[in-house]
Amino acid sequence: MAKVLIPTPLRQYAEKKDTVDLHGATVGEVLTALTTQFGDLRKHLFTDEGKLRSFVNVYLNDEDIRYLNKDKTEVKDGDTLSIVPSIAGGLYAG
Amino acid sequence: MIRIEPEAWAVMVSHAQKTYPNECCGAMLGSSDGSEKTVKVAVELENAFAGEQGAMYQLRQEDLLRADSEARRRGMDLIGIFHSHPDCDAYFSKTDLENSCPWYSFVVLSVKNGVFDHANSFLPDPDQTHADKEQLIWPKS
Repeated sequence: MAKVLIPTPLRQYAEKKDTVDLHGATVGEVLTALTTQFGDLRKHLFTDEGKLRSFVNVYLNDEDIRYLNKDKTEVKDGDTLSIVPSIAGGLYAG
Repeated sequence: MIRIEPEAWAVMVSHAQKTYPNECCGAMLGSSDGSEKTVKVAVELENAFAGEQGAMYQLRQEDLLRADSEARRRGMDLIGIFHSHPDCDAYFSKTDLENSCPWYSFVVLSVKNGVFDHANSFLPDPDQTHADKEQLIWPKS
């Protein structure tokens, strides 16, 4: 069972829970379990093509899964998954 | 509507003025009750952009993760991000929009000649094509 931390603005789509415990052998399986249990979360995390939105990053404990094995990264009991957005900006190009 | 409490506001303005002429960035922690948000704590974060920081900021995801952990630890929520526009108005630029996240309020502080001038808050959409202006209330000194 892994723990998924739900960012504040998305809790309204997850029955107001700040964490959810889910089964899954990989990060992909846990995220599928998350969006199966809370269908309204799907469009906030994934595009219509089923890919994670460009600004959505997933951390397993303290590590970005892009530098592990992406959605095939193995998940163990007691692991924590965090959903963290990419954020930047500024005056370049208008 | 987003309301910023005095202590948090002081941190945001100070960070923006200290960082001038570069862009600053940080996280806003507090509470959210539907469309009404209150910022109680502002956390200064480092601008991680490797190039010219006078016109660009970038948040490290690890820093954002730590800010979120800090919010949870204090019984608050991460509800927004702030950054500054040196010598420019507090509008939501194309770069701001294309690198935003629709989950948070984005407060932009205009700093002119090193002194805070004005601020606005924005709510970007999920497709990063549009941002609505959000009512922003900050303590006037």
